[in-house]
Amino acid sequence: MAAGVATAISGPHDSKQEMRVFYLLSVIALTGVLAPWVTRTLPQRAGWVLMLAPLSVFIWFVAQIPAIGEGAVLSTSVSWVPALGIELALRLDGLSLLFGLLISGIGSLIVLYAGAYLHGHHHLGRFHAYLLLFMLAMLGLVLADDFIAMFVFWELTSITSFLLITFNHQKGESRRAALQALLITGGGGLALLAGLILLGGVSDTWRFSELQAHLVEGHVLLPAIIGLVLLGCFTKSAQIPFHLWLPNAMNAPTPVSAYLHSATMVKAGIYLLARLNPVLGGSVGWGTLLITFGAATAVLGAFLAFRQTDLKRLLAYTTVTVLGQLTMLIGTNTSYGLQAFVLYLVAHSLYKGALFMAVGAIDHATGTREIARLGGLIKLMPLTGAAVALAAFSNAGLPPFFGFIAKEFKYTGLIEMGTIGWAVTLVMILTNALLFAAACLVFISTFLGRRGDYPKTPHEVSLAMWIGPMCLAIGGFLLGAWNAWPETWLVNTAVQAVASGPVDVRLYLWGGLTPAVLASLLTIGLGIAFYCVRDRLRALLNRINSAWNISGDLLWDRLLKRVFLFAGLLAARFQHGSLRQHLVLLSLTIGAVLLFSLWPATQTIADAQFSPPTLLGVIGCLIALAGAAAAAFLPGRLTLVGALSACGLGLALFFVSVNAPDVAMTQLMVETLSVIFLALVFRRMPSIPASGARAPWKRRLHAGAAILFGASVTGALLFAVSQPLPGNLADWYLANSLEGGHGANVVNVILVDFRAFDTLGEILVVALSALAAATLLAGSPRRAAQSGEPEFASVLLRQGLRPLALLMLGIAVLVLWRGHNLPGGGFIGGLVAACAMTVLMLTFGSANQSRLAAFKPTYLIGIGLACAALAGILALLAGQPFLTGLWAFPGGLPLGTPLLFDVGVFLTVFGSAMHMLTQLTGARR
Amino acid sequence: MEWIAAITTGGMAGFGLWMLLDRNLKRVVLGVAVLGNAINLGVLTAGRFGAQQAAFVSAGSGADDLANPLPQALVLTAIVIGFSLFIFALALLKRTRELHGDHSTDLISSMTEQPAPDWHAGEHGAAPEREHKETRP
Repeated sequence: MAAGVATAISGPHDSKQEMRVFYLLSVIALTGVLAPWVTRTLPQRAGWVLMLAPLSVFIWFVAQIPAIGEGAVLSTSVSWVPALGIELALRLDGLSLLFGLLISGIGSLIVLYAGAYLHGHHHLGRFHAYLLLFMLAMLGLVLADDFIAMFVFWELTSITSFLLITFNHQKGESRRAALQALLITGGGGLALLAGLILLGGVSDTWRFSELQAHLVEGHVLLPAIIGLVLLGCFTKSAQIPFHLWLPNAMNAPTPVSAYLHSATMVKAGIYLLARLNPVLGGSVGWGTLLITFGAATAVLGAFLAFRQTDLKRLLAYTTVTVLGQLTMLIGTNTSYGLQAFVLYLVAHSLYKGALFMAVGAIDHATGTREIARLGGLIKLMPLTGAAVALAAFSNAGLPPFFGFIAKEFKYTGLIEMGTIGWAVTLVMILTNALLFAAACLVFISTFLGRRGDYPKTPHEVSLAMWIGPMCLAIGGFLLGAWNAWPETWLVNTAVQAVASGPVDVRLYLWGGLTPAVLASLLTIGLGIAFYCVRDRLRALLNRINSAWNISGDLLWDRLLKRVFLFAGLLAARFQHGSLRQHLVLLSLTIGAVLLFSLWPATQTIADAQFSPPTLLGVIGCLIALAGAAAAAFLPGRLTLVGALSACGLGLALFFVSVNAPDVAMTQLMVETLSVIFLALVFRRMPSIPASGARAPWKRRLHAGAAILFGASVTGALLFAVSQPLPGNLADWYLANSLEGGHGANVVNVILVDFRAFDTLGEILVVALSALAAATLLAGSPRRAAQSGEPEFASVLLRQGLRPLALLMLGIAVLVLWRGHNLPGGGFIGGLVAACAMTVLMLTFGSANQSRLAAFKPTYLIGIGLACAALAGILALLAGQPFLTGLWAFPGGLPLGTPLLFDVGVFLTVFGSAMHMLTQLTGARR
Repeated sequence: MEWIAAITTGGMAGFGLWMLLDRNLKRVVLGVAVLGNAINLGVLTAGRFGAQQAAFVSAGSGADDLANPLPQALVLTAIVIGFSLFIFALALLKRTRELHGDHSTDLISSMTEQPAPDWHAGEHGAAPEREHKETRP
């Protein structure tokens, strides 16, 4: 950014000083985090304590005034997203310093004020935390030099504003206002992000300080950049037609209105406009847009303000007016105009903050904010009254207040512009006259005249509540009366940062009888006139409004309703709650995409060389397919159980044919157990009719989806196997299994050693799903089955089955033991043992089984998982990575932690199957 | 061998999807098992066949023409996890039937969903009254 005189002269000597900008932010952040705790510990003094953080920041800023005033710039940065070149770059120049002073200075007073205003509120701590978080965001916004960092802080202010507006969340109005503010400023934020990215691309930098006007000027993307950036700024700073949210945001507690919605956050858009003015201000469109929208906003705000009967809403609309005027002033881009901008910004923040806080105090003391009910408060609340008087004078633009100087400069700045300037000046005079009348309304109607009719007995508020408005009001007076000081130290450097070339700043209260003074006199005259005819004016405005019957809020509601309707319509198409339609859509999409992308590979698949088929494999495949087909189409229950097991057994046969004995055994065992579970559950259920949807078109659609899906799976798999197998993982496992894992069964070694961590996760999943399924299977309430299933009630069968079960248990242990070198292992052993116990349980009942085995299945699961984990921890204790195999050879017998791990797998699988079965057979039916 | 396995996988996947699309929840649960079987077969097929021996190594002999052990290990655990999933689905089926009776697949979520807690009658029209009857055979 061409910052005039303010080129960086910061040397290495003050690098420590520069890092302090970071500390500032961290101090605020830390205080924000601690705020709820502080408020709980010190409910009486929380405001005073928490205020110290922003106050110290303010003092630090004040200490920087001399250096920055001479043109120095503090900048520092830390890397944030290095891959994208995004840095958390902070930079303190004149404009940032001005904003920083306002944010931290008013912020300190607001924190103090809030402590008293919301005294005893059960969420005061939370409120303080939000407030400080907002302060952090706002400081970050004005200090950030990087686009993205600035944007993040920008959005953070929107979010904290949402939280603060909705602080009284039990009120529907607050929620609506908060949502409205969030949607409008958030939507604008998105536009801003797009604009900033375009700007960054065009100018090839992500720093505000490195932007160069000549790179941007005349670029083809400039209109888009201006449009998007303005959209962001206008929504944030409540320019027409986005001004809606600001008056509604007054549903927030008064400290929030005073701080966010008059002094700081709404100025964020103005800040960015000012920040980008040197770069974008060169184009004609920029100035025209700013002046047009600013003027329209100012006039509308002023008239709407006059209609209000609620003091707070009145102030809110005057804020809209002022924001419009500020926008207009940036648009003038003349030296007086920019000086007026800076002056007016400061003046407005001071008096508006004071007025808001005072209105809050009045509300607090009297219980009402209705102008008609107020009056004669000066005797009851003298201190607040004095503060309001001072602030209102500044607001009205009377000398010698700061507001007067600001107004004079405004007129001079506009008149400088020539013909358009005069037109705009008229707008300015009109709006200022209305502001003047509004200021009168705030002071005279409230504090003078006869005593109002109050819901509560009015009393002067506590020190914490009047000190804030008083400080700000006196500040406005002092800055105006001793205007040499702000001229030298504040306004000068800030203006340099806003303007594209050097500007000579000289403030004065009296500059002779210039056109500006005449305009001022006219304003005051008109203002007095407006005040005198206020009731008639208000009636007139009300009539106009009812004639038009247009309310932005109403339009907003309608718009929002339409958006929701549209979203609902769209969502209903896809979120219909029908599982089957979801599946059809998904599978059709997957199938179509897969087949389409496989189309070019047809030849590759046709040419591929496959291994020769074996008879066993083909038979297995046929059985599996036939089983699946039967399960898919046939009616009945037993038929389906049989079909499903045929499918699984065919698969087991196939696994044998392709030299995968471990897999085949597992499949066999799982199939056995599945059939038992299925039969136990299905026998209590009605018969299943033949498959297929009732409507023929639906049946055809489902068939089509299924065929397409199956074909695409086949195609994808064929294409995969027609390519050479990448990598040599298999060879590595085969070569290292015996040496590294001390096992000949490579599959088992992979499971319990090489990839044991995976297995640990898998048995955990098995255990968890078993625990979850068991509770569902049991139903409620449950008891252990005292006797076995009646179908097994044969002495011969019972006597025969008992030794068989014991034999199977023995085999299970054997399978576990030999698994490391021969087919078998923990998974298979566990399943075999589960089958054995199932036989016992079905014959003798689960209660007897429990006595027989003297264990609870859940304990088994726990012990199993513990064994597996212990195997890993032993390796840790030995200084190896988790689950590394440790081996010992006592008497030539290889013993190692993988064997312990395998025992864990065995117990977990066994226990899981047992647990589910116990619950299922024990369930009362 | 691979092409036969691929066709079997595709066929089973197709049958499985068909079952998942059935209006009867019981067949849907069976479909989960069939689809699981298809996927297991698919993973194993992706490891290629044609080896002459299973993946067992002995000290003396060199590792020659052995089956690919990695997909086998993956599928082995997948089968066990698939079993847990199947039983869990079965348990859900059983419980749903106990609580809500027999229903078409499409109705099941609307049957079991509770209305939103801040759904007030009057604001959006009458809230649908939903009762959860304990229907047991």
